[in-house]
Amino acid sequence: MQTFKTVFITVLIAATPVDFLIAQTPEERGLEISLAADQRDSGWKHQTSEMEMILRNRAGKESRRKITNRQLEVNGDGDKTLSLFHEPKDVEGTAMLTFSHGLEPDDQWLYLPSIKRVKRISSKNKSGPFMGSEFAFEDLSSQEVEKYKYKFLREEACGEFECFVIERIPQYENSGYTKQIAWIDKAEYRNIKVEYYDRKDALLKTLELSGYNEYSGGFWRADQFEMTNHQTGKSTTLLWQKYDFESDLDENSFNQNALKRLR
Amino acid sequence: MRMSLWSGLPIMFLLLSGYPFLLFGFEDSYILELEARVYPIDSDDPARFNDDAAVSFEPEWRQTFNQGNTIATFTPFGRWSSRDSQRRHTDVRELNVLHVSDSWETLAGFSKVFWGVTESNHLVDIINQTDQLEGFDGEDKLGQQMIRISRSFDQSALTLFVLPGFRERQFLSQDNPLSLPFPIDNDSPLYDSPDEQDHIDFAARFSGYRGIIDYGFSWFSGTSRQPDFVPGGDGRLIPFYAQIDQLGLDLQITSEAWLWKLEAIRRDFENDASGEDFSAAVGGFEYSIYGLADGMFDLGLLAEYHYDSRDDRATVVFQNDLFAGLRFGFTDAESSEILAGVFVDQDDQSTSFRVEANRRIFTDARISLEANLFSNVDPGNAIFYLRDSDYLLLSLEFYF
Repeated sequence: MQTFKTVFITVLIAATPVDFLIAQTPEERGLEISLAADQRDSGWKHQTSEMEMILRNRAGKESRRKITNRQLEVNGDGDKTLSLFHEPKDVEGTAMLTFSHGLEPDDQWLYLPSIKRVKRISSKNKSGPFMGSEFAFEDLSSQEVEKYKYKFLREEACGEFECFVIERIPQYENSGYTKQIAWIDKAEYRNIKVEYYDRKDALLKTLELSGYNEYSGGFWRADQFEMTNHQTGKSTTLLWQKYDFESDLDENSFNQNALKRLR
Repeated sequence: MRMSLWSGLPIMFLLLSGYPFLLFGFEDSYILELEARVYPIDSDDPARFNDDAAVSFEPEWRQTFNQGNTIATFTPFGRWSSRDSQRRHTDVRELNVLHVSDSWETLAGFSKVFWGVTESNHLVDIINQTDQLEGFDGEDKLGQQMIRISRSFDQSALTLFVLPGFRERQFLSQDNPLSLPFPIDNDSPLYDSPDEQDHIDFAARFSGYRGIIDYGFSWFSGTSRQPDFVPGGDGRLIPFYAQIDQLGLDLQITSEAWLWKLEAIRRDFENDASGEDFSAAVGGFEYSIYGLADGMFDLGLLAEYHYDSRDDRATVVFQNDLFAGLRFGFTDAESSEILAGVFVDQDDQSTSFRVEANRRIFTDARISLEANLFSNVDPGNAIFYLRDSDYLLLSLEFYF
């Protein structure tokens, strides 16, 4: 997607005289901000990270998951992701390989270490919970510009930042949301907060991202995601560690052989 | 002895190599399982036992070297049973070194390989001997000695196997309700090949995907993992392992919530006297409905049909049988799951049911309850010997 986006944004900027900018519709402005955010987060090529997930039910009872992620940026398509589960221990060694394709269905394989089996699985379950957490599969999937229609709502302060507030309407099939409202900081175009509205257009969840660090190449990553479900009172925290953009990954780190040998 | 020697190896490597910075990491994990089984139906055979308590232990030690491009794995396995002396066994599931270099992957040692896509039978899967002492579903396997070389391409992979040596199938004791209905000589099997269990087998597999299609073509030439039986002098039956050539195909189409699956094999016996050449297939679908009961669970509907050209219901279990199943996958934090399935022979309506429910407990353990029932079993059916072998199995697996 990157090539398309680069061309698109270049054309957009080049062909947009200042007075026309003022006459922009909210939809154009929303798209422009989203393209700029995407542009700033392009070119990282590959990354690895470790994620700890803390699930909390309404009574405050916690359970934990640990996952190692590796990602490969793909020019002209969605990213490739390989996730290896460490905890709970009964799923240790289970791994998932995802080739995301924007609006088209993703290709997804699951590796079951106990019987050494790789299974192609359906990626239709976008709105289902990821490992029993408050994050749906679609919340953690590769975010491509084409997956939403955008609308600029306003500018306002959001915590310590000044933010654009953008409405995003999912264009891919099987989403659990009618819309998302995203707060994106004006300085670095980072997601600060996202509200998710369910199919009845009621507020379902709020995601807050914090602890942003800048990594080599100018890429910003949050080390904490806090997702609160307003309808069930449950919440999930993601703690990210060991972001690495320098690792030795290539196409061969994202195929079925790689999936099987992780464990 | 072997275990302690092996766990010392990484340290020896570290000391001898002088390149400790190449050392990537040591990982260990352990599975301890406790199981209790009851067979509620009294049979005519007074020697048969009606319950069994058993324990198994499976450690896994992994050491990665060379920036993670070389991985050594050792996974021994041991089982103790209170009732069945045959079930008291150990095995080396994995003892191998894997090396990765760009698109090449090479493995030498004992390992386990799975081929296939279907759920109710695994026709194409042939590299490893089935561990008959462990499971009823054929998914437990003995470690197989192999040299495996694999080359990955853009959307496919070619894998070649040299399999120097054969693992014999082991059989349950005669007093086990799940044992075959005749005494078996476990010690001196017969072979087609004069090399017996030292025969070197070969196999190859080309697999990959294209859009919504996943495919695998496989070839195997060597000692059949599935024995035939010949009468021995002492009234016991002796396992006989033929030389075979087998071609396999597995195919899956993944379209939205539908998974369409097919496995087919053609098996030719190198010696015509050793067996009748045959073809077999299993095919069907799995359809998933997500987020039922306000997102509480997902439901999978499965159906698979089994065909075998031998059409002999007395010796071939899956020859004209239908499998139907339900999978309830709950979205709770304990990953609770219920699987229920039924096999029905289309010739004589012999039926077997299986229900399995499991969930996570104590953070890192799983509890599971399994019931197997055989009903309406026809005297001419290959599972007639199991007609009184219904069982209930409670197991607890600890992971640490």
